[in-house]
Amino acid sequence: MDDYQTEEESVEAAIGGNAYQHSRVNQWSTSVVEQCLSQLSKLGKPFKYIVTCIIMQKNGAGLQTASTCFWDNSTDGSCAVRWENKSMYCIVSVFGLAI
Amino acid sequence: MEASDTYLIRPNHQHKFKPAVVKECIREVVRERLSGLRYDPEEVPELSRSLADCIKDKVKNSGFDRYKLVVQVVIGEQRGQGVKMSSRCLWDADTDSYAEDVFMNDSLFCAVAVFGSYYY
Repeated sequence: MDDYQTEEESVEAAIGGNAYQHSRVNQWSTSVVEQCLSQLSKLGKPFKYIVTCIIMQKNGAGLQTASTCFWDNSTDGSCAVRWENKSMYCIVSVFGLAI
Repeated sequence: MEASDTYLIRPNHQHKFKPAVVKECIREVVRERLSGLRYDPEEVPELSRSLADCIKDKVKNSGFDRYKLVVQVVIGEQRGQGVKMSSRCLWDADTDSYAEDVFMNDSLFCAVAVFGSYYY
C-alpha cells in the first residue's frame, strides 16, 4: 500500500502551520480524516478503508499506539504516518480491507 | 439434483457485529490488565501489543466468524495534555461496525477501537 503520500498531503493541508488549540482540534481531526478518506476513495480500488487520526498536544508526555488485525495478509494492509509541528503530534493510520 | 442458496453474502441478525458485546469484551480486558498500572515507557510497547492481541482473541471467540477485525490500542501518559482520536470508515454500513472504549487512571489513559468488516 503506497498511500503514504496521500496521507501526508492530507495532514499537511488540513492542519499545516497551526498551533494546538483545544477548541479547534475537533474540526482538525475530522477534516484530516475526511480528506484522507476522500483521496483514498478516488483511487477507485475494491477496498474498504478505515482511517484513524490521533492529535496530541506536545507536552513531554509519552504515547504508544499498537494495532493487530485478523485479515487476509495477501490482500489487506495498513499504513501509518507520523506528522508533527512545534506544538502537536498527529498520527494517521489507514487500514485497507479487500472486498 | 437440487441446488440451494447457502452461501451467505449478508450476515443474518444473530451474526452481525454487535458493538455492545465487543465493548464489554474490551472493557473487561483493559480493566483487568491496566488497573493500578503506572505509565512506564519501557513496558508500554509490549503492553499495548499484548493488549491488542488479547482483545482480538476475545472478540474472535465471541463468534463473529466471517468478520475481518482491526484492533487499535492507544496508551498515553497523563500529563494534562489535550488528545483527540477520531476515525472515519468507507465500508458497508449495513454489515460493518465498530466498538470503542476509553480507560483512564491517574498516570495513563488507554483508548481501544475495534472495527469489524464482513467478508463477503
